[in-house]
Amino acid sequence: MPHPIFDLEFERVSKIYRIPEPPDPAQRLRGVKALWRKLTGTAVEFRAVNDVSFQVPRGQTLGIIGHNGAGKSTILKLLSNITTPTRGEIRIVGRIASLLEVGSGFHPELTGRENVYLSGSILGMRRAEIARKLDAIIDFAEVRKFIDVPTKRYSSGMFVRLGFSIAAHLEADILLLDEVLAVGDAAFQDRCLQRIADLRKAGVTIVFISHDLSAVQRLCERVLVMSSGNLIFDGAAEEAIRAYLQSGRFKHSEQYITENCVPGRLTNVEPCDAAGCPASTFQTGGEMRIHIDLAVRETIPDAWVHIRIFDLMRKCMCQLNSAERGVTLEPGEYSAEFICPELPLQSGAYTVDVALETSAGHYDSDWQRDCASFYVERKSNSAGLLYAPHRWRITPAASGALRGRLQGTGSIRSTQPI
Amino acid sequence: MQAMSDSGGRNESRRVKIIRAPSFSIRTLLANLADLRQYRDLLYTLTLHRLSVRYKQSLLGWAWALLQPLALMAIYTVVFSLVTRVPTHGTPYAVFVYAALLPWTFFATAITNSAGGFLAHTQLITKVYFPREIIPATYVFAALFDLLIAAAVLAGMMAWYRIPLTSHAAFLFPVLAVNMILAMGLSILLAAVQVRFRDVGLAIPLLMQVWLFATPVVYPLSAVPKRFESLYILNPMVGIVENFRRAVIEGASPDLKSFWYSAAVAGVLLPIAFLFFKNREATMADII
Repeated sequence: MPHPIFDLEFERVSKIYRIPEPPDPAQRLRGVKALWRKLTGTAVEFRAVNDVSFQVPRGQTLGIIGHNGAGKSTILKLLSNITTPTRGEIRIVGRIASLLEVGSGFHPELTGRENVYLSGSILGMRRAEIARKLDAIIDFAEVRKFIDVPTKRYSSGMFVRLGFSIAAHLEADILLLDEVLAVGDAAFQDRCLQRIADLRKAGVTIVFISHDLSAVQRLCERVLVMSSGNLIFDGAAEEAIRAYLQSGRFKHSEQYITENCVPGRLTNVEPCDAAGCPASTFQTGGEMRIHIDLAVRETIPDAWVHIRIFDLMRKCMCQLNSAERGVTLEPGEYSAEFICPELPLQSGAYTVDVALETSAGHYDSDWQRDCASFYVERKSNSAGLLYAPHRWRITPAASGALRGRLQGTGSIRSTQPI
Repeated sequence: MQAMSDSGGRNESRRVKIIRAPSFSIRTLLANLADLRQYRDLLYTLTLHRLSVRYKQSLLGWAWALLQPLALMAIYTVVFSLVTRVPTHGTPYAVFVYAALLPWTFFATAITNSAGGFLAHTQLITKVYFPREIIPATYVFAALFDLLIAAAVLAGMMAWYRIPLTSHAAFLFPVLAVNMILAMGLSILLAAVQVRFRDVGLAIPLLMQVWLFATPVVYPLSAVPKRFESLYILNPMVGIVENFRRAVIEGASPDLKSFWYSAAVAGVLLPIAFLFFKNREATMADII
């Protein structure tokens, strides 16, 4: 059996960021000491990527998923050589094209044509190569009429289409894809997808990093799951998505606390069953609860808890507030419970965002994205987009009085225009 | 569309790139130079872009490349030939100062723009990889282009004052080469430092002001008192500006001592600056 050729190799790669430590107000330094401190700097280390190894054989489409802060974007930055690993080694065979930042390097004063040259050379194309592909690039972006107009006069759609078109025409061996497909209109998106499909057929190795789990499932043969900088799963897409959802347990992170943040934190978010025990699988039409713990540092007037449930394509299924008018939360610990007696969701995996918000002052909310996830199993007798909480009543048709009542309340009224 | 589908067949010519933490080794240095070669078209395109963008939507356009040295020449001529007299060995003061302003303005513009311009590319640096030293390098080349335009005016002035070119004028090429290498070295060094410490950008205008008067631009080298001379020529711009003026308008033989000193400083600075820059480049996107 021939030895497989690896286009990408990560060998024990770690990336450690040094985050400057906030100055301790208790011991303020002055003069030379303060200057020295600024020069040398004390920092806390943050492992964005921790000892990650993997190999991508030629022609494979690899997905990388993970919650925010799991290290996906750092891997992407490492792959595109924007930053270098602190430890370990990355081996790349061939030319990488990244569709991460469409239109990077566009200068608004330059014309479309000039920008194709500029942006193309920033992406590593030779001028001769650009000249050869200029027509194809312009046509793909559908901007021929405006190609000699400064790009500052472009609509945002034209701008993005031209940017994407340049990157897509790079003669690449390896393609890095982010959620770029959210650009342009539906027709343009279709062309982009077609282009990606063509490249796959041509044997281009693709690395796809996305939140859109259903797209990952559709496109990728193999998926890596990152969680807090560690590679926690490497394998088939379906299992990877399960691993991803399980990794989405709530983690309280002190890191995002800022000055103007609401003076209270979400400390735990957990889906529970009807008995209040933590659970991850529910049934359509069954009871589901989401248990939320809060810690309040200072009095928060007019506060509420906000919850959103998303499907794998990150389409928001529902968005709900704990109350129309907020309550005043005194310092202390609270628990909130979201109770859904009849779950209207059909089978699939869902993720949850929770936020603690207030209308008082101009506080940022403590918003935890993707902080919990759960599965829904299909109830055998239901199908469709959603499940309607309902009751059936079937009675013998003998009674004329009953028929009259049914018509009066249900079917007739509902057919009237609203 | 078709262009990319042939990429599978180019296996043998594929470049292997290894990314690891920066280190000072010959292998890394060679890899860096190869990388720079790979991107030489970017250097060209980006330099063109500098030139074409700079004067877009400006009324005077390219005239601005002349205006700066001409304005300085006018001011210095008024001050140093009317208010106080600076000895120029018979050369009209306007030509005397303008000739020195050419290499000086090139140097000052290159450094000021590349340090400032580097931060203007933060967006790009955090999003796309390319050898980052290309950014300061393009500012140096753009400044060189301005020098060429300004040189045309010098030629006109020399014709007007009937100052002949002599065979010594050929020396202007090695002088400009040293000037260029020095500007390049300092530009990439300061750009790398500025990523971490913004003080650089704030200090450069002041530094350039002081440096101008520590260089024989508005006065000749011969006006410097003998006892300060050994200290004075530590400034590598002395050998450049003085020899440029000697070669072009005075038709005198070059001052080789100061020239070789400038060449040595430039020749040592550029490789050190490059190594330092490449070392810092690894984490530039993280801290810029």
